[in-house]
Amino acid sequence: MNKKNRRGVFRAIAACTLSAAMLLSGGCGSKGAQRGPGGPNAQQGGTIFVITKQSLSFWDDVKKGAADAGEEFGYDIVFREGTNDNDYSSQEAAIYDAVKKKAKAIVIAPNGKTELNKAFEEAEKNGIKIININSRADYEGVASFIRCSDYESGSVAARNAITLLQVKDPELATLKNIAIIPSTAATSEERVAGFIDSFTSQAADAIAPIDMTETNEKKVQDARSAKIDAYKKGVIQGAACSSESAAKDAAMKVLQSNRDSISVMFGTNTNTTLGICEAIEELELENDITVVGFNSDEKELAYIKTHVLDGTVIQNPYMMGYVGVRYAKRAINGDSVPSRMDTGAVFVDAENINDDFIQLMIYPDGKPDAAENTDGGEG
Amino acid sequence: MAKNNKSKGSGAYIFAGILIAIIYIINTFLVESIYWGNQEVSQKTGQANSALNKINSELTAINMDSISIAAGIIPPEDIGITMGDTNKRYGNIIAAEHQFEAIEDLSPTVVKRYNYAKALITAFKDKLDSLGTKNVQAGNEEMMADILKQEIYPLQTAASEMLISTIDVVNVETAKMNAANTKRAFALMTVMMIVAILGEIAVWLFARRAKKIRAELEEREKNLAEVDAKLKATRQKASDLAVINVLTGMKNRYALDSDVSDRLETGRFNIAVFDMDNFRSINDTYGYDFGDEYLAAVAEKLKEEFGDVAEIYNITGNEFCFLFNSSVTESQAMGIAQNIQRVMSSPYEVLNLAVQLPCSGAVYHYLPGDCLNVNSLLVKLDTALRTVKMNGGNMINTVMNM
Repeated sequence: MNKKNRRGVFRAIAACTLSAAMLLSGGCGSKGAQRGPGGPNAQQGGTIFVITKQSLSFWDDVKKGAADAGEEFGYDIVFREGTNDNDYSSQEAAIYDAVKKKAKAIVIAPNGKTELNKAFEEAEKNGIKIININSRADYEGVASFIRCSDYESGSVAARNAITLLQVKDPELATLKNIAIIPSTAATSEERVAGFIDSFTSQAADAIAPIDMTETNEKKVQDARSAKIDAYKKGVIQGAACSSESAAKDAAMKVLQSNRDSISVMFGTNTNTTLGICEAIEELELENDITVVGFNSDEKELAYIKTHVLDGTVIQNPYMMGYVGVRYAKRAINGDSVPSRMDTGAVFVDAENINDDFIQLMIYPDGKPDAAENTDGGEG
Repeated sequence: MAKNNKSKGSGAYIFAGILIAIIYIINTFLVESIYWGNQEVSQKTGQANSALNKINSELTAINMDSISIAAGIIPPEDIGITMGDTNKRYGNIIAAEHQFEAIEDLSPTVVKRYNYAKALITAFKDKLDSLGTKNVQAGNEEMMADILKQEIYPLQTAASEMLISTIDVVNVETAKMNAANTKRAFALMTVMMIVAILGEIAVWLFARRAKKIRAELEEREKNLAEVDAKLKATRQKASDLAVINVLTGMKNRYALDSDVSDRLETGRFNIAVFDMDNFRSINDTYGYDFGDEYLAAVAEKLKEEFGDVAEIYNITGNEFCFLFNSSVTESQAMGIAQNIQRVMSSPYEVLNLAVQLPCSGAVYHYLPGDCLNVNSLLVKLDTALRTVKMNGGNMINTVMNM
């Protein structure tokens, strides 16, 4: 290549380089200008497994919340569930699957307190964060426990049952017994306990009126405690039921033998609440017995409108799923998360059923055009 | 032509310059639009986050006040003041909600999350109001504690989570918008870079082609110059052939005409013609080729012997004309003529044969105006020469001046 050619090639390369440099310099300037707040969630996260107890409407709302959070924060959500609320082996397999698929976190409502610990250990060993929702898992590696307290939810039901009774009888002078139809679900025991403790505590003056003739304070308290304990022991509890028809049978059985001695009936989940409502409706006891239950199945909502069901406690499964994934994201990013969170419970009755907040709790995605949900729910 | 080539080459560089200028201008506008687009996004994000943080902090403060009342930290006589504070704080929340809702073009995801938070805040406030009116003043502390623990506190926690989530979603949306802006800008700039590089390559190829064409033109010019030179040489050769006898290499009759014509009017000079006697016998005996060789040998000898004193012309086959230099006098001319006769009559070896022929000559001491033209001059000389030949030849005659 002679000198003349070299000069020509040099000029061509110089012109191209200059153009490229100008473009790049423009690009560099714009890149700096584009740096916005970004936030901690700017990057795409990975996969989070959401493992629920079983296939019921309650868990559908949990999934809706989880799916929304996954979409908002850039995570792929994989859903798994047990076949029933005792099926921990399906959940165990789901955890191992999460390990295999290199999930970043697991959000789980365990079907057992300790049965999944081995799988949890394996997951933790692989760097997977564990977020526990709904019912407690006795495992130390749980980053956060998000739930609506079953005991407190039972208490909410009791407190509102008393408020309803006080509408007709402010002093509860005619207060009679409580009848409870529990479900076979793991949540039932605490709900029943919360209901009975709160009811007897808040209706203590009616259950055990203070003996004004007795001057010994201790004797007065002991006498009251004894009466309250006796009231608690006298609470009518039907057999634990796993289906609506079984709950109806149990409620019918209780009512046929105790209909005149019951002020309040309490169902601990959808099936038992619906069973009680069917029995009350059949026996035409709507005006005689206050019925409170759990969850917000369409049939339950219909019973509220016809005043067969006086009120129901609803939890916030959508919030549970949403916050579960949100806390999982925070744990993945190394941010601190609260060790526990109570998503709260709300009592729904004919008076507040149309409130915006209640409607949002019942229908996280907006009210459907037609009633589609009839399969019952369980929290 | 060279100037034209130069302008062709510089055209490529002008084009490159214009291309770079256009790219620079587009780039400037692009960066400007990205900057202002991001400014708008940042401003919107700042407003949204400010409003949401305000709501959250006021909500937390209200909750703290509520817990303080329930825990008995605030004395009963100050509860009214605290509840007044709560109302003011809730007023701030409403104002911040209006500030947030006034922001235009928020994404449906952000609006959905905000609406969820707002519904929880409203429920929280309603529950708080109902607690205040029904229980706080009635002093039902157990129920108040239960409501706080079971309903109000979870509502505040959930509302706070939703507000923080809304902030996070706003930030995620902002990051997405910025990422989309960045992606779009880089895509545009990449396209522009490709266009620029292709343009520069085109310019480079164009310049290279122009350079090649210029080299080809230069080569053609060079070839044409060579052809022109050859043509000129050929013309010169043709011209020379017109006035030179090919056989002897001496000037011919036309050259003599050209050389002498101008001198006839005023010139004074000595001129002579010589001719082989009976030269035809050589041709007849040995052939024309031999005759030609013999003449060439004689001519060569004559140029050698007399080229310094006279211009020698081969005006016909074996007839030679000597135009003596102007320095040669009449008497010298006669002496030289005798020498010419001697040289021409000498034996010459041609093709291994020695050949000798006598020759005759005529000398003319020309005076100005003697002849009108070269033809009449030669007629005079030829007449004198013929006279000698008629008298047996081998002699030199003189043209008489008349």
